[in-house]
Amino acid sequence: MGEFIVQPTEDYKGIWVIAELSESGCLLDISLEALTAAKSLGESLHQEISAILLSATNQDTSQAEETLCQYGAQQVFSLKHDMLAQYQAEVYAYAISDLVGVKLPNIILAGSTSTSRDYLPRVAARTHGGFAPDSIALEVNAQGELEVTRPTYGENLWAKVVFPKNRPQIVTVRAKAFAKGEADKSRPVNSETLIPPLSPELPHTKLIQVVQGESKTGKKLEEAEIIVSGGRGLKGPENFKLVEDLAEALGGAVGASRAVVDAGWRPHSEQVGQTGKTVSPQLYFALGISGAIQHQVGMSSSKIIIAINKDSDAPIFDIANFGIVGDVFEVAPVLTKTIKEQNLAVSV
Amino acid sequence: MNIVVCVKQVPDTAHLRFDSNDQLAQESLENVMNPFCEYAVETAVRLKEAHEGSKLTAITMGPPQAKEVLKRAIAMGADEAFLLSDEAFTGSDAWSTAFILSEAIKKNLPSTDLILLGQFATDGMSGVTGPALAEFLGFPSMTFCKKAELKSDTILEAHRETERGLEIYEITLPGVICIMKCDYEPRIPSIKGVMKANRTEIPVWDAASLGLSADKVGLKGSPTMVAKTWRKPKKEGGIKVDGSDPQAAVSQLIDFLRQQKVM
Ligand SMILES: Cc1cc2nc3c(=O)[nH]c(=O)nc-3n(C[C@H](O)[C@H](O)[C@H](O)COP(=O)(O)OP(=O)(O)OC[C@H]3O[C@@H](n4cnc5c(N)ncnc54)[C@H](O)[C@@H]3O)c2cc1C
Ligand SMILES: Nc1ncnc2c1ncn2[C@@H]1O[C@H](COP(=O)(O)O)[C@@H](O)[C@H]1O
Repeated sequence: MGEFIVQPTEDYKGIWVIAELSESGCLLDISLEALTAAKSLGESLHQEISAILLSATNQDTSQAEETLCQYGAQQVFSLKHDMLAQYQAEVYAYAISDLVGVKLPNIILAGSTSTSRDYLPRVAARTHGGFAPDSIALEVNAQGELEVTRPTYGENLWAKVVFPKNRPQIVTVRAKAFAKGEADKSRPVNSETLIPPLSPELPHTKLIQVVQGESKTGKKLEEAEIIVSGGRGLKGPENFKLVEDLAEALGGAVGASRAVVDAGWRPHSEQVGQTGKTVSPQLYFALGISGAIQHQVGMSSSKIIIAINKDSDAPIFDIANFGIVGDVFEVAPVLTKTIKEQNLAVSV
Repeated sequence: MNIVVCVKQVPDTAHLRFDSNDQLAQESLENVMNPFCEYAVETAVRLKEAHEGSKLTAITMGPPQAKEVLKRAIAMGADEAFLLSDEAFTGSDAWSTAFILSEAIKKNLPSTDLILLGQFATDGMSGVTGPALAEFLGFPSMTFCKKAELKSDTILEAHRETERGLEIYEITLPGVICIMKCDYEPRIPSIKGVMKANRTEIPVWDAASLGLSADKVGLKGSPTMVAKTWRKPKKEGGIKVDGSDPQAAVSQLIDFLRQQKVM
């Protein structure tokens, strides 16, 4: 494998968005959010927007390429290779780094997912680019430099990260932190298929098996606009019906605190917090959750937080927009019933 | 099997205090081992115990007081520890930290088979060090792992938890894995372990001994820089109502949601 050759800072131009496809080959929403963020950077910096797709040689990606162009990509580089059929950090990192060396992009954006956070640090290491993950705001300052805002210290302290000279400037954006733009159906598709020079010696990892998450609602926590989470205040796994019922009435997903995941009441795929998922829905309900800092880390950027807890001093009330000091067993069923009876719908 | 675990000292994020300028009050910070590093050490000790004749080495890069987390790692079961410390390392971002760690491993621990790290450090919350370290070493890497078991001298099975569910991978060693929360808890050091930690000498490696020039490390060697920090803006004063009359509380909540134009 050849060494990467670093070029002078000013030679790096243009903005890339690395798009991610789901198992079923659909573009993730978070990739379109990243693309919208890229568009506004592109306007400030007068730089071109390109989208990058990676897929197996025979995979039909024309739909995704069309969508990417409609959402603002001026061109799509569609990297195709049989070694890209199954995700592997080394292979992805190598394919992307190689293209970086050829095209010299100034900024690379991607949605913050467990995939991008797996291979992009390797791209940064290989290309000598800087990496700022999980950004919640992006700006171009008066000097025309990129400034990335990201939460640190358990979401307590926000930091502004800059890239003094190394390029590319690699950034992942947190789900829902940037609104997805509008598709412009009149935009032409402009896509180019490229074959990355991958050596069969590259991968040293092999996927053996995927055990699907057991989330009962089938809704993805990270993408849900409404989340109803339950904690130890529910007293037992059987009482999670209360949480599920409210989630169903609202059309939301079910989340959980670590205490109940550790107790085996709920699957880890539902855990919100420092050692679980980071979510930022429009509406977050915390039922019988104390609101420990490690839980807050995963949900404090939710738009509206509603808490039901019988302890009026519970820390969750410090961050709740609306709190009900009361017994979750009394309040939650009334809430669910009222929503159902009055046919109330949440518009988010 | 030669196993290395990289640990980091971080401020206890549950007890942060801020000064009048909304900056972290540094002197009030209580330093602990990064919680994910605790899981990494626990996993490393388990691997060592399951594979006779293994050696576990803990390393950290940090100021002199970071020795404390190395002592903790020894007390939990590591055999030896090294502190990477130099004025010149100050200001290193995760990229640069990974670079320094990789140079130290290449130079002083060249027969390493497996390196474990935490998934994130709770201060920077970046998750960059592990995969970047692997790239610098030319090793495979796996993030978001919650379990690891050796299948043979060169094959490690790792369980990775992602949005898609639980993914089971085989990694050909030498390799790097980053540990999230596991299904087991990190062990509490025994008294015997603590005594051993106090007895064990912890050598220091500085930039010169690693053959690193000052412009390749620290702030100068870092592709990113924190230009400014500020305390996260507080949520505006929330509404708190009494729920002893559930119907009344629910009506107030629904009114609130209507005002917020979400219902
Ligand atoms: C390294 C580390 C990582 C962690 N990561 C996470 C994480 O990712 N996610 C996470 O959630 N936690 C995490 N934790 C754990 C966290 O510190 C808390 O222990 C946990 O969030 C508590 O869960 P809980 O709120 O459900 O339980 P508790 O703290 O026990 O709270 C239960 C709440 O229910 C209320 N209650 C009881 N009965 C009723 C009732 N009838 N009606 C209404 N309210 C009632 C109580 O007043 C109480 O506030 C982590 C901890 C550590 C050290
Ligand atoms: N200064 C350091 N010394 C040793 N290990 C580190 C250091 N910084 C980060 N790490 C390791 O990298 C992991 C992830 O940290 P980060 O990439 O900073 O989020 C930590 O859990 C540690 O295992």
